[in-house]
Amino acid sequence: MRVGIVGAGTMGRVHAAAYRRIGVEGLAAYDVDPVKLADFASEEGAEPFTDYPKMLAEVDVVDVCAPTFAHQQLAEQAFAAGRDVILEKPLALSVAQGEQILRAARESGRRLFVAMVVRFFPQYRRARELVSRGELGRIGVVRLKRVSFPPAAAWFRDPAKSGGMPVDLMIHDLDYARWLLGGPRRVFARMSRGDRASALEHVQATLAYDDGAMVFVEGGWAYPPGYFRTSLDIAGDKGLIEWSSDQPVPLDTLLPKDAPPPKLGLPMAGLEENPYETELRHALSAFDSGEPFAVAPQEALEALRLAIAVRESALSESVVEVA
Amino acid sequence: MRIGIMSFAHLHAEGYVQNLRRIPGVEVIGFSDTDSERGRRFSQAYGLRWFWTHEDLLAERPDAVIVTSENARHRELVELAAQAGAHVLCEKPIATTVEDALAMKAVVEEAGVRFMTAFPMRFSPALQTAREMVQSGELGSVLAVVGVNHSENPKHHRAWFAQKDLAGGGAVIDHTVHLADLYRWIFDCEVADVYAEVSNPFDPEVDTDTAGVLQLRLQNGVAASIDASWSRPAEYPRWGHLKMEILGEKGALLVDAFAGHLNVWRKTAGRSYEWLGYHPDPNQAMIRAFVKSVAAKKEPSVTWRDGFEAMRVALAAYVSASEKRRVDPTMLR
Ligand SMILES: NC(=O)c1ccc[n+]([C@@H]2O[C@H](COP(=O)([O-])OP(=O)(O)OC[C@H]3O[C@@H](n4cnc5c(N)ncnc54)[C@H](O)[C@@H]3O)[C@@H](O)[C@H]2O)c1
Repeated sequence: MRVGIVGAGTMGRVHAAAYRRIGVEGLAAYDVDPVKLADFASEEGAEPFTDYPKMLAEVDVVDVCAPTFAHQQLAEQAFAAGRDVILEKPLALSVAQGEQILRAARESGRRLFVAMVVRFFPQYRRARELVSRGELGRIGVVRLKRVSFPPAAAWFRDPAKSGGMPVDLMIHDLDYARWLLGGPRRVFARMSRGDRASALEHVQATLAYDDGAMVFVEGGWAYPPGYFRTSLDIAGDKGLIEWSSDQPVPLDTLLPKDAPPPKLGLPMAGLEENPYETELRHALSAFDSGEPFAVAPQEALEALRLAIAVRESALSESVVEVA
Repeated sequence: MRIGIMSFAHLHAEGYVQNLRRIPGVEVIGFSDTDSERGRRFSQAYGLRWFWTHEDLLAERPDAVIVTSENARHRELVELAAQAGAHVLCEKPIATTVEDALAMKAVVEEAGVRFMTAFPMRFSPALQTAREMVQSGELGSVLAVVGVNHSENPKHHRAWFAQKDLAGGGAVIDHTVHLADLYRWIFDCEVADVYAEVSNPFDPEVDTDTAGVLQLRLQNGVAASIDASWSRPAEYPRWGHLKMEILGEKGALLVDAFAGHLNVWRKTAGRSYEWLGYHPDPNQAMIRAFVKSVAAKKEPSVTWRDGFEAMRVALAAYVSASEKRRVDPTMLR
């Protein structure tokens, strides 16, 4: 199966490395920026294409790692060319855009996998297993945290291009909350921002469910350079799960603190298998076998809808009914 | 200085007795409790004189008292103490209604006695340093605070904590006041509004809430949340947590006030695994501060108003949760 990566940026490289480790050969790559494309091609060993339709003609699967504002057009072109698509999260910038992508997939008869990678993190999977087996009893309060320093690429800072922090980053935990408990009834969120130049953004959101369960989600791009923290805390009437990225990991690296921090925070240190590998292996094998994906396109759409509701609540400081 | 304890209904009374006994010059004259089972039990356990009525205790003319009754009975006891001329340290929340809290203020003012609210976390060195760092501007302008004060269900120690008529509510009134007070103290401003979700997912046997998540906006614009849930199981290695992450433009502070602990495993104890704290107990510093303010005839560092404003935040959470809107706690009268 030949894969063409679209977008030779951070995620393009993360995916390329994962493909290499899971034994996918003959990568193709396309990027609007010819310099980035050339660097990527030589460093990742991919065949560069400066023309998207030409690459589409050569590959079986298109893996869109381009910025979110370009998702719809790139995905629709790929479906029109009869290709299956892996699409980095978030699905799109609006629910309408997302619905159009889903429709394009249906109409072309091709398949869409939205890369909600948190579903492939072993601690998040294991926690959900316990919850779905009823081992925690009735779930009362869930706390989910995902806080990072601001991403370096300028387009992230423009909500018209990235959707803003709730849609770009918090969506991981909003999807996870839905995966655990389904959709909430209402959301309330508060946003904090630094001054215009700083790009700092932090959101605290409460999701409330009909049965009295609540999920508190914290997300942010406001930490100092180099810090990325995630955690989950799931309390039920029969049990409790706590996990935090502050905990010891199987392998920790202590490098000089003054080493320059990475450009983008990715919470994958110390795991047995990089979750991006698990994710992409799953997608390729599902394309191959025709089996359903662990994340249905509709679920990615619902997560987007919820993220937009959180953003709306944060901006208006009012309760948004969602179900 | 002669100090009495009014009621052993609150489990903190036990600790306060020990705290008082460690202060030179303080004599604990005994405690009053109208529950004779409790009276006999704690009289034996602590070698304390037990007075069956509060009036009997006050007839001994204590200089000061600590009020550790059920929340809803604070007013009655504070009124008795003030009328007997005793200074008061009152357990939190100071009351369960605005009306009761205002009545307490009136009576202590009229009697000319001092009133301190028991907010021990103000005496935690970690929180004191956090406050200094925020106020000195080291973190830059603060964007947000995420607070957690969750615990086990305290009804296993004292049933009244989960009885609405005596406690005034459940988890939310129990826990909210600590973090609400710390936010007011760290940022020197009031809470502008509260949005809260409150429910009882953890214990169908009680008539109170067992979970609450509050999202506050402080008057200085900082967004600050409080998880006030009884969401830790009884088997948890400690009663719970008090945590606060303060996020500023120049950096973040992670406060975990009880993080200094040993991991202890024991064959005999009720808890086979326990987090045993090794830092000084903030209650000790609080009790010492109370004794000092009484001796020096000075206003205590934590006042009636502090207790009142924190209580109003908790009450605002209940209003917010039932009306699904933001509520300004200073509007609750
Ligand atoms: N799952 C995760 O953990 C995770 C993490 C970060 C980002 N993402 C998502 O991945 C996507 C890419 O993010 P990134 O951090 O790699 O961004 P990036 O800015 O590092 O890279 C984007 C690349 O796409 C190229 N590009 C821009 N427009 C294009 C177009 N129309 N066609 C082809 N190439 C184009 C750019 O030149 C750049 O090389 C975003 O949707 C983002 O939300 C996911």
